[in-house]
Amino acid sequence: MNSTLAGAAAAEAPRPVAPSDRIGSGNTLLMLVRRELWEHRALWIAPLVVAALMVFGAIVASVKYHLTRADMSRDDGPQGMTMFAVMQGAVSMPLSVVMLIVLVFYLLDCLYAERKDRSILFWKSLPVSDDLTVLSKLLVALVAVPLGVFALGLLLSLVFTGIWEVDAALGRVPAIPGWGMLAWLKAEIALLLCLMVGVLWYAPFAAYLLVVSAWARRNPFLWAVLPPVLAQIVEHVAFGTHFVGNFLRYRMFGIWGTLFSHMHVGRGRAFALSSALSQLKLQAALTDIDLWLGLAVAAALVFAAIRLRRYRDET
Amino acid sequence: MTAVIEARGLAKTYGATRALDGVSFSVAPGRIVGLIGPNGAGKTTALKAILGLTSFSGELAVLGLDPRTQRDALMREVCFMADVAVLPRWLRVSQALEVVAGVHPRFDRARATEFLSKTDIRASSRVRELSKGMVTQLHLALILAIDARLLVLDEPTLGLDLLYRRKFYDTLLNDYFDKERTILLTTHQVEEVENLFTDVIFINHGRLALNASVEDLGNRYQQLTLAAEQAPRARALKPFYEREVFGRVAMLFEGRSAAELGALGELRTPSIADLFVAKMQGTPST
Repeated sequence: MNSTLAGAAAAEAPRPVAPSDRIGSGNTLLMLVRRELWEHRALWIAPLVVAALMVFGAIVASVKYHLTRADMSRDDGPQGMTMFAVMQGAVSMPLSVVMLIVLVFYLLDCLYAERKDRSILFWKSLPVSDDLTVLSKLLVALVAVPLGVFALGLLLSLVFTGIWEVDAALGRVPAIPGWGMLAWLKAEIALLLCLMVGVLWYAPFAAYLLVVSAWARRNPFLWAVLPPVLAQIVEHVAFGTHFVGNFLRYRMFGIWGTLFSHMHVGRGRAFALSSALSQLKLQAALTDIDLWLGLAVAAALVFAAIRLRRYRDET
Repeated sequence: MTAVIEARGLAKTYGATRALDGVSFSVAPGRIVGLIGPNGAGKTTALKAILGLTSFSGELAVLGLDPRTQRDALMREVCFMADVAVLPRWLRVSQALEVVAGVHPRFDRARATEFLSKTDIRASSRVRELSKGMVTQLHLALILAIDARLLVLDEPTLGLDLLYRRKFYDTLLNDYFDKERTILLTTHQVEEVENLFTDVIFINHGRLALNASVEDLGNRYQQLTLAAEQAPRARALKPFYEREVFGRVAMLFEGRSAAELGALGELRTPSIADLFVAKMQGTPST
C-alpha cells in the first residue's frame, strides 16, 4: 500500500484549497446535463419533431375535415368520454412512445460512445468524478427528458384546445364538452404523477442499460436485448415454463395495474381523464414493495456502472 | 522540496505481459521530464498509473495524492492530454470552453479565448470539422488556460506536421511553463524536443533504463568518435555501445573522464536520441 507515502507527502505539501477553488456539485451536475443535451440532440429534437407533426396534423384535420354532431354523439358514451380526454391521450401517447425509444438508445450510448471514440480520456482529464458523470446521465434520462416531454405535452394540449376552440367558434365543431381550467389542471397533475410513478418503476431498466453501456465492448444494443431473450428461450426449452417472460412482463407493466386498479379502460367504458386524478391509486403504487425492490436494484446497478467507468482500463 | 511524483516499485501486468516491472523514480517540481521508451515499453502504462486511469501495485504519490483513491482531487491539480483526437467530435469550440469553464475551478476562459483568437479556429466549429493540427491547438488552448501543477502529455504531437509540432512546443515553453509547474512528456520524436527536457527517464521492457537530469548526462556519458584503427584501444575502456559511421567508429562510455578518452578521438556529450538508441539496443561490442 502506498498510503504511507501519499500521506507523508500530503502532510508536507498542504496546498490549501480556497472556497472559490471549487465548483459545487450542483453546478457541475447542471453543466454535465447540458453537455448530454449537446451531444445527444435526438433527446430533444425527436419529441419536438413529433410534436410539430401532431400540430400540423391537427391543423390539416381541422381545415379539411369537419366532425359532424353525429360523430361526436356516437363517441359520447354514457360514461361521458369527452373529446377533452381523447385530446389528452392523443397528445401524451405518441410523445411517451418516442421518448421511450430515444431514452433507450441514449442510455445504451451514453457510456459506450465515449469509450469507442476515446473521448473518455478528455472527460477524465477534467475534475469531475465518475459518480457525478454517471449520475448526470441518469438525471437526463429519468428527470430532465421526462419533465421536458411533459412540458411539451402540456403545451400541445393547449395548442390543440386552441385549434378546437377556433373551430368551435367557426361553428364547425361543437364546443368541447368537459373542458374547464380546473379539469385541465387536474388531468395534467394526474399525468405528472403517472410520469413520476413510471420513472420510479422503470429506473432499474434505465440502470441496467447504463451498465450494459459501460460494459459492452461493441454493440451494446445486442448485449442489452440478448440476455433476456435468451433466458426466455432457454427456460422454455429446458423446463417448458415462462417465469422469466412473466417476470419481465410484470416489471414492464405491473405498476400500471396497481395505479389504475378499479379504473376501467376499454370499449364503451372509457374514462374521463379529467376525473383520473381522484381515481389514481397513488398510495398503493408508491407503497408497492416491488417498486422499492426495483429501486434498490437500480441503485446497485448504478453503482456497478460507476465502478465500471472508474476502473475499466481499455484505452 | 516535495516531489511532484514519487514512484516506488511500480508494477503492472496485463495477463502474462509485464507492462511495468518494479519502476521507481521521482520527479521534482519545475522540471520538464521526457519519458522515453520504444513501443510497448510501458510508458503509457506508467502515465495511466500516474493519472489514476489504471490499477497497479507498488507505491505512487502524485502531488501527495494516491491516484487510485484520490483521483477526483488529483484532477484539480493535474492536467493531461492523452493523445491527439480525444476531444469529442460532436463538441463545438464554444461548447468546449463552456464545459471546461463549467466544471474546472482553475480554468481561465479569457486566456483560452485569447489563445484561440490567434488561430484559425472559429468558435462555432465542431471538432469533427477541424484539422488534426487545429484539434491539438484547441486542446492546447484549454490546457494552457488551466492553472495546473502537473501537465502530462502522451505523444501530444503524433501525426502533426512539423509546423504545428514546432508551434506546439514553443507555446508550451513560452506561455505555459514556469518554475512552479512540472511537465511529463512522452514522444517518439526525441530529436525534436530534446532541448526541451530538463530530465529524461528511459524505460524499456517495463524497467527503468536511465533516470537522469540533462546536466548529469554530460558528466556521466561521453561519446567518442574515432578512426577505426583506434577502436581496439578504446574498446579496452569498455564502451557500452558502438557503431560505425562512414568508416569512423562512435562509442558511448559511461563514467569515464575526458582525460582518459580525449586522447583517442573527438569527445562530446551524446545527444538524448543517441543515448536512447544505445541504451535500447544493448551493447554489441561487449
